[in-house]
Formats: sequence, C-alpha cells, structure tokens
Amino acid sequence: MREVQTIDHPTATIVTGAAGWLGTSLVTALAGDGRHGRNGSVRGLVRSEENANHLPKTIELIRGDVTNRASLDRLFDGLGDGPIDLIHAAGVIHPTASMNEFDAVNHVGTRNVMDAAHRHGVRRVVHVSSNSPFGSNGARNDRFRNDEPYHPYLGYGRSKKDAEIAVLNAVGKGLNAVMVRPPWFYGPHQPARQTTFFTMVKNGKFPILGDGGQVRSMTYVDNLIEGIVRAELVATEPGRGWWIADAEPYTVNEIVETVGDALRSEGFHVKPNKFRLPNVVGTVAEKIDTLTQRAGKYITQFHVLGEMNKNIAVDISAARNELGYDPQVALVDGMRNSIRWCLEQGIEL
Amino acid sequence: MTVHHDCDVLIVGSGAGGATTAAVLAEAGHHVLIVEEGPWVEQGSVVPFSLDQMDQQYRSGGVTVALGMPSIAYTEGRCAGGGTEVNSGLYWRPPEATLDSWRIKYRIKDFSTDDVLSICEEVESTLSVQKVPGEHTPASDILRRGADRLGWKNDEIPRWMTYRDGAGATEGHRQSMTRTYLPRALAAGARILCEHRLNKIVRSGRRAVSAELTDMTAATDGQNAVTISFRDVIVCGGAIQTPAILQRTGLRHRVGRTLAVHPTVKLAARFDDVVNTPDDVSVFQVKEFAPNISFGGSASHPGLVALALTDNWRDFGSAVTSWPELAIYYAAITSEGRGLVQVVPGVRDPLVTYRLTKRDRDLLGQGLGRLAMVMLEAGAKEVYPSFKGAPVVRDRADLAAMTTMFAVARASVMTVHLCSTAPMGDDDKRCATDSHGLVRGTDNVFVNDAALLPEAPGVNPQASVMAIAIRNARRYCADRAG
Repeated sequence: MREVQTIDHPTATIVTGAAGWLGTSLVTALAGDGRHGRNGSVRGLVRSEENANHLPKTIELIRGDVTNRASLDRLFDGLGDGPIDLIHAAGVIHPTASMNEFDAVNHVGTRNVMDAAHRHGVRRVVHVSSNSPFGSNGARNDRFRNDEPYHPYLGYGRSKKDAEIAVLNAVGKGLNAVMVRPPWFYGPHQPARQTTFFTMVKNGKFPILGDGGQVRSMTYVDNLIEGIVRAELVATEPGRGWWIADAEPYTVNEIVETVGDALRSEGFHVKPNKFRLPNVVGTVAEKIDTLTQRAGKYITQFHVLGEMNKNIAVDISAARNELGYDPQVALVDGMRNSIRWCLEQGIEL
Repeated sequence: MTVHHDCDVLIVGSGAGGATTAAVLAEAGHHVLIVEEGPWVEQGSVVPFSLDQMDQQYRSGGVTVALGMPSIAYTEGRCAGGGTEVNSGLYWRPPEATLDSWRIKYRIKDFSTDDVLSICEEVESTLSVQKVPGEHTPASDILRRGADRLGWKNDEIPRWMTYRDGAGATEGHRQSMTRTYLPRALAAGARILCEHRLNKIVRSGRRAVSAELTDMTAATDGQNAVTISFRDVIVCGGAIQTPAILQRTGLRHRVGRTLAVHPTVKLAARFDDVVNTPDDVSVFQVKEFAPNISFGGSASHPGLVALALTDNWRDFGSAVTSWPELAIYYAAITSEGRGLVQVVPGVRDPLVTYRLTKRDRDLLGQGLGRLAMVMLEAGAKEVYPSFKGAPVVRDRADLAAMTTMFAVARASVMTVHLCSTAPMGDDDKRCATDSHGLVRGTDNVFVNDAALLPEAPGVNPQASVMAIAIRNARRYCADRAG
C-alpha cells in the first residue's frame, strides 16, 4: 500500500444522512471500536420523522434537514474549538414523492451543507457523490478515468452533477472539501430494494439483458467507508474527487452468478437463472424512464431496468495512488456478508 | 482517334499502394505503366491543408459523403501520390496485436508480424520517418499540455519528413510518393500517365486483357480515348475507387461490402494567444483511450475554421474573426460499424453508405466530451463543438450541457482513413482477394492498396498500406519473372 500523509482525527465528526443506508454503516463504524473508531464525538443529522433507533447510542442525533438551512446551524452547537470534519452522505436516489426531491435534496441540500460547513469553519468536508454525473462508458472495455467530463444520467445524475458543482464552488470560496464517487454499493444495512435483488437471484428470476456482458463497478460498503475516511484524513488538495469501488468491475453475468454462489454457500436453494431479455427491453425501459421523469414522475423499476444494459466501470488507480485506498473485500465475500446481515435481521429472502 | 499503350503490368493509381508497387515491380525489371486520374502537383506549389489544395489534389474538391444516419463526410486524394500528398504525414506502424488478429481471423498466409514490421523499418528509412527536431506548433503543445494535466497518455507521432538540424515542426519537407517511390519507379523505367481516368477493364473469362481510359488533358472529346493492353493489372485506387473499378469489371465477391473507417467528430477551441498554424497539424495524439478513442489535431486553415463553426453559425459565427486564436481538433474512434461501396450504372461516383452502431455513437459522444475537457485543461477560453445546436463550452458545467445535448445525428462526422473494401486472406467467406491480393475468380487482377486491410487499423493507416503493398509486390515478383 502506498504511503500517504494523514491528519489527526477531528474532535467532532458530523455525518449528514446518518440514518440512511450508507450513513448507518458509516456512523456505526466511526462510533465503534473497529479500525475506523475514533475518540472524538460523532454527530448525525437525521430528519425529524426519521427512525434512528437502529443507530448506536453513542451517536449524538441532531434533528434537521439539508433542505432547511437554519436547521443545519444546530449541527455545530456546542462543539467547541477543536477541528470538525463533515461527511455529507445525505441524498435521494429513488424519490418517493416527486422528482423535485432530486434538486431540493441532492443539489440545493448540498449547497446548504457546504455553506454551513464554511460558516462554521469545518476543517475537511467529504461529499459523497456518484457515478451518475458521468453517465456510462461507450464501450465495455472503457474505464472511467478519475477526471471525466460530466454527462449526467437523467434526473438523479443531473442533481448529483449540480451537487458536485456546488461543492467545487464552495472550494472556490475557501472550503476544504473533497468528493468520493462510489458506483452501485452493497452490503449490510442495505435497503429493501436490494433484498429484492437477492430474492430474484434465488428464484432464478433476475432479468439479464442481452448477453449479460455489461460491465459494472460496484462498491462493498466497508470499502466505501475506507475510501471516505481516507478522503477525510489524507492530506490532499481541496476540490479533488475519486472513484471508490471494488478493485475490478464485474460483468452482470458474474454478479448474478456470484450472488447465486453466495446464497448457496449460506444454505439457500438457488434456481438456475434463465431470465434473459433482449437488449431492447433496456432501451425501452430507459425511454419510459426518461419520459416519465420529464413528466415529473419517477418509477423505480423502469429506472433500474433502463440502467441494466449500461456499462459503468471505473478505474480506481487515482484513489490508490493519492489516498492509499486498497479495497479489501470483493464481490463474493461482500455478498455473503450482506446475506448474513439480512438473515440476522430476520429479513426473508 | 485512340491512343494505345502496351505494358507488362498496368497499375491503376499512384498513392501509398500504387507508388510502392510500381517501384518494386519496375526495379525487378517489369515493364510498368501507372495511370493516375489526378494531376502531378509539385510539393510546395500549393499551400498544405488549404482550400486551394482541396480543389487541386482531392476528389470532388475535397469532400464526398457516405450516406447514413448520420452521413459521414470523407476525403480522397486525387493526384499523383494520392493521399500521401495531402495527409498529415503522421506515421504509425500497424500495432502487432492488430497484425496477429488479422492473420488468424482472415487466414492470411505468410503474414508473419515480424516480416511486416521489418518492411516497416525499410519504409521508415526510405521516408526518413522521424520526430520534429526543433519547436512544436502551439496546436501540438495544447494537446500535450491538456493531456498531461489530466494524466492521459499522449505521444508525439513521428512523420515522414526531412528537417535541417534543429528545424521546427513547420519546416519539414514531406517525403510523399512524388518525392520517393514514384521517382524510384520512373528511374527504373516505369511510366506514368497523369490525368487519365480509367473507365473500364475488359475481361475475357478469368483474365483481364485491356483497359479503356479517358485522357482528361485532351482538347476535344473525340481525341481523348486511350486503351492499354497488359499482362496483369494491379488496382490501387484507394478504398472507394478500387471496389468501384472491380465491380464495374464484374468482380463482386466480397468487394465493397466491408468498408471500414475511423469516424471522427470535431471541435474548435479558442485560446488567449495566437495558436493557429494554417499550414500544419498537431503531431501529438492522445492515446489514453486507444484503441477505442484517439484525439489529434486537424487542419485549421481559416476556411476550415469557418467550416468547423458552421454547425451552429448563429452562435459560433462571430468567432471566425479571431481564427488565429482558434485550432481544430478531432476525436476518432475505431468503429464496429461497416459500410458499402456500390457502383450505380450510369453514375461515375459509387454510392457509399456507412452505418454506425450504438457503441460507435456512444463512443463518439464520449470522445467529444473528453476532447473538450483536454481543451479546457490546456487553457481554452471557449470550445465550439461541431454539432448542430451545440453550446459554447467555457467550463465543466457547460461541458455537462454539451454532453447532454450531443447526438451523433446532429454532428458533422467525417473520416479520412478508409479501408477494407477488398479484404485479403484465404478465408473466402470474408475476403475478396487471396492472401497476396489476387482477386478471387481471376488469374491476373490484383488489388494492392488500403482496400486489402481487413479492418481499420486504429492508427494512421499509411504505414500499414505501404508495408502490405511492398510485401505483396515482392511476392508478385517472386512468382513472375520480369
């Protein structure tokens, strides 16, 4: 692993979206006594109606919302003079009420968080971005380099692109902020829609488009936490952003087979996957997704299906070189951990 | 009145394929006659990369179009020396992996990669292939600087030029075919008839026996007919004309079915300083995404700058007055698509069509976005992408708008590298000629130009064309004594 220069833990770490699926894993790691555990306090921003009972009791919960600027000042109450870091993990991937959530939460919310961090003299901000501002690769053997032109994919992609630009604007005003860009991540604390994915594979009903040779980078959540913490604590120039993903991308076939193997090794009976659809199904789903989004509506199934025949594969060498990031978990172990977590929670697959 | 000529070998076309073939055959004692549709234009008498040059040395004044969605504009040299007189002069050996895959996939006999590369070495020495000894043009520096800042692989591509010691990029002398292989052929006794257009090759069964041509320099219509008798004919008219000639001769098996090109999209970029060198192009190419995508510099003569801005003239047109601060760059892709060349009875130019696949379209968009980013990193103040409705790009946020709006159907897609319309190899399901260019179904009709390359090589193809032509010409001499 590459030697990199790190800075000390802050006296306080603020995590937005703390009760969300990434946030939960992140604050659990930061407040725990594992390798990412830290002495300073960990504060989580949680929406007023949001259930936070699953979070460790040592987390200080602050009720507020990134869309409400005033509520963000409360995050900093009584923190004293020590260094404060902020990890911005709040975001909407699949909106429930309206398409406006994308812009309100992902874009304007990020701007609000950056402003608040700047106002309160935060030492280092890590913004959790996505692959979506960059679209997809034109060819299967293409890999996104660390620096790529924005080519946002639909509403989510546009909002996450605008969020990145808001972060860069804040950096221009003097904020020390950096970005991590995880593609599709997986692991414990995953939301219900990813549990559905396991069930589909178990029943041999996961829709593979075309030959299933589409290439996808994925990120096991512990790898992502490793990347976030390194982005926070490794001294780099502000404004940088890095792909954070498992070491190598996988093909869709590999993903489905590996999840099948992981389920089998956890004792499940897995039916052979014979659910193949022509590529055109993905194209049609994408068209429907585009049209419904334009009409201000969002249908998760069409969005997910429309993205299934795309290649989204990234090159993580910049994170390796600049942050010393070295992902330890790959698909089969990551998926086994996710399945075990589901079983521990009593979730039926 | 009809003028008649006799020869051992008639070579149709005098470009990278025809000139080398003529030199090898004439030096082996064959009685060679070259016919060339275009004029002999001395190097230096026309400004390189100018509209004047397009008028004199290209077919149809510079631009021809392959129909499709979108249509793809292409250019063909039409002069003694063919494309070598007018191209960028950049020299790339065919990649070893490409040669290996061609040999296997198309079953090309006696085609060892080492043999081809050793011919490349000879060519490099004959053409004085070298890097620029002195200063680069600003357009070259821009590409290098932008790519370096992104950490993207870029290289200076050597050229076949001679320079005095320490000379800068624009001071080289092109070692095109009219300076090298054509004089060699003529010195060994070959003759050349310029401005003679081939109309027809007359065939008797498996043998071609004579050719009918028009002398375009003749004063009146009645005095311009020319016939030529020969033992063998070698067609080297380039990837569009060669299949057209073969089809008119009744030879159609796998002819003109598999046109391969490197489609390109362009942009113009404006900088704070004077960056335009009208008579030269960048010698740097960005190969970070090769073989899928490559970036390089295009000819940026003021007329061509204006042409590059026409896709969105309403918003871009005013930039033309600052042409000295503008340079044009391209993103080229290796394409999965293929095209057709088909002769149409009664029409002189063949109908050319080309179909881009979805991957090709996606890569062209991705390439244009990445190229624009190289420009911004190099310090461009404005980037003008060549597609209808394109926005002016000044920063990364504009780039997002540009990539979102881009659609290949609205882009000015063009190409200069045309090949693969009479592929060679022993696999007769795929190939129009045998492994050395003899057209299937004939005893004495050969092809020896870019049409033989089974696929587009992913790099500037002139070296591949020349090396393969020399290889085949030597085989011809070994088979038939002069």
